[in-house]
Amino acid sequence: MNAPISRRQALVGIVGAGGSVAGALTSSASAEEHPAHPVAPPDAVAMLYDNTICTGCKACMVACSEVNGLPPDTALSGGLWQVPSDLNSKTKNIIKLYQEPDGPGFAYVKKQCMHCLDPACVAGCPFDALKKNLWGAVTWDSSLCIGCRYCEVSCPFDVPKFEWDKWNPKIVKCEFCFDQRLVHGKEPACTAVCPTGSVIFGKRVDLLAKAKDRIAASPDKYFEQRVYGEHEAGGTQVLYLSSVAFDKIGLPKLGSTSLGHYATKVTSVIYKWLSAPILLAGVLGMVIRRNWNRHEAERPAREKRTGFPDQL
Amino acid sequence: MTRDSTGTTLINHWQSGVPVYRGPVITDTLVFFGAVAVIGLALAAVRFWSPLGPYSGMNDAYAWGIWKTFNVMTLTALGSGPLALGIAAWVFNRQKLHVVMRTALVSGFLFYATGLIALGFDVGRPWNFYNALLPWRWNGESAMLEISICMPIYCALFLSFEILPLVLERLYYTGGDRTRAALRRISPLLRRMYPFMITGAYVVPLMHQSSLGGLLLLAGTKIHPLWQTPFLPLLYLLAAGLCGIAFVTFLLLLACLRYRRPLDLGILGELGNLLSAACFLFLAVRFGDLIWRGMLRSAFAFDSMSIIFLLETALILVPAVALRFRAVRETPRSLLKVATLACLGGTFYRFVPTTIAYHPERHSIYFPTVPELLIGAAYISVAIVGFGLAVKYFAVLPGDSGGWDHIFRPLRLRRTATRAEGATA
Repeated sequence: MNAPISRRQALVGIVGAGGSVAGALTSSASAEEHPAHPVAPPDAVAMLYDNTICTGCKACMVACSEVNGLPPDTALSGGLWQVPSDLNSKTKNIIKLYQEPDGPGFAYVKKQCMHCLDPACVAGCPFDALKKNLWGAVTWDSSLCIGCRYCEVSCPFDVPKFEWDKWNPKIVKCEFCFDQRLVHGKEPACTAVCPTGSVIFGKRVDLLAKAKDRIAASPDKYFEQRVYGEHEAGGTQVLYLSSVAFDKIGLPKLGSTSLGHYATKVTSVIYKWLSAPILLAGVLGMVIRRNWNRHEAERPAREKRTGFPDQL
Repeated sequence: MTRDSTGTTLINHWQSGVPVYRGPVITDTLVFFGAVAVIGLALAAVRFWSPLGPYSGMNDAYAWGIWKTFNVMTLTALGSGPLALGIAAWVFNRQKLHVVMRTALVSGFLFYATGLIALGFDVGRPWNFYNALLPWRWNGESAMLEISICMPIYCALFLSFEILPLVLERLYYTGGDRTRAALRRISPLLRRMYPFMITGAYVVPLMHQSSLGGLLLLAGTKIHPLWQTPFLPLLYLLAAGLCGIAFVTFLLLLACLRYRRPLDLGILGELGNLLSAACFLFLAVRFGDLIWRGMLRSAFAFDSMSIIFLLETALILVPAVALRFRAVRETPRSLLKVATLACLGGTFYRFVPTTIAYHPERHSIYFPTVPELLIGAAYISVAIVGFGLAVKYFAVLPGDSGGWDHIFRPLRLRRTATRAEGATA
């Protein structure tokens, strides 16, 4: 008597899970997928931006727009020239100027996707439209994106942008020039064109070492004598050296734990093989069945007493 | 059914679901909400040919507007009555609650259905939604995936199954002999499936109501630390239960007053008890979490976010305490007030982390535009009109079984006031 019921309970579990079994299968390795402090694979590429070198010529912005086929954002200049106010759906890369409110000090900052080692956007994207591609570039696939904009909500650097004015909107963000240049063995347009070498391209391990060498050579030049992006949000593949405080140039203060780890450390256990939902369905199913049987057993008497059919 | 467990003689007014026969089907209220629904849905239809930008106040910093944060993330909490009361009735065997399940189910179904419509208009690339049918394209660890798959399944399969008896019952009373014979054959089948389906109907929303809170984990530091916690999924789930019970209580009282139904204080008292427990449970987890994270001091710092937190807490604490008093539970007027407070508190908790306590790095403001508000209001109006029609055509609201009237026909707007004897099947 017990065996068939427990088998049926298992079936309920599968029905109850609504067929997302396969989802659990694909996420079965998720516990390892989001370590708190991810380690960059040896082939991970990176950019190193040093704002003590940058002259603010914005050659990288022009090169980026050209290579990515982006229309110039001329709204601020009355249609004359490209002056984006920030990263937006026409701008994947921008040079911004920070001016000290009371003093002569200033600093440039280059903003684009940080290509996190464990990106929050990739962890949240429901159909893997955003994914960690070869060499760690975070790329976007138009055929998988439903336009839910969860990437915009989850990105701690506010990088992904949505084409609010398009009927067929895309998510616009720096993709490390993946299709345009990286797969052809070329470095991204911005680093290729930079005349001063303030933004350079290379393997992440090499650039991290290079950045630390620069700090060691002239420690007074650099804020906090550290590389932004080495540990932020679990580590990023764009590294920064700055003469002023990072949060002043729009690089937020973030912990060293990856957001993917924070968000999935509990759910990856609960949803592993859908074990918890199936177990819950089994337990609930057993109790409900007992109560249901009791309800059904009392039904004829109840219907006779009240003169009305039992309502579900 | 005139005696309660303590032996006190009560008049038990809520014996079964009974349609509302009194008054016309189309009332002024219904026309008003119908008009709002038509205007808003017409605007929503224009959205098919229009990009999201000019239509809404959403921007890259506040990428989610009220359609997601209110119509989906907040109102489905109010629509969690079938979950909370279903578990109380079928798992914890609170037999009294069976009679109010239909009110919970119909309102829950309407909130979920309109929430899903809202979601359909909100996403930018809805044509790619077919990917939901291709499991190998799923990102199994995404809370967004869990929601976008579980919510439609819950609404289209489980909730629909649970409200099917209402429709079949009506067909039975209005249909001819052949219909009745067919329905008599279907009925045992439904009853055989029932315990399995309701198991699914509780497991699936337990998953996605907690995932709605799970969504916000990835937003990390953008959400104020009073709200951003690893306990968000559990708190969102508990808030859903709280809102579900509170809203069903609120709706029952409101609808019974509106349609001059006698109230059943025994059942309402039971709902009040459950609501109080749900509020206390929520507050215990909420404060336990704040203490665990050492946030208690900033919770009582009396800065702007702390005041919002305290307001939200008060809206839940007042019902929790008030409902411990029998006098409050069994006075319809005070029960209505307290249930309203709990609804507000619960929805406030669900709404705040996505909007007021959401501070993206970029300085930007979001306020919904007029079309956005109208469309949002239209979804709610659809639910109100749906409920207004449902109570008249189907046996939704609880009442005296003796009030059954067979002489009603499908889609007949004017009714004869004939009363028939009690229905037998």
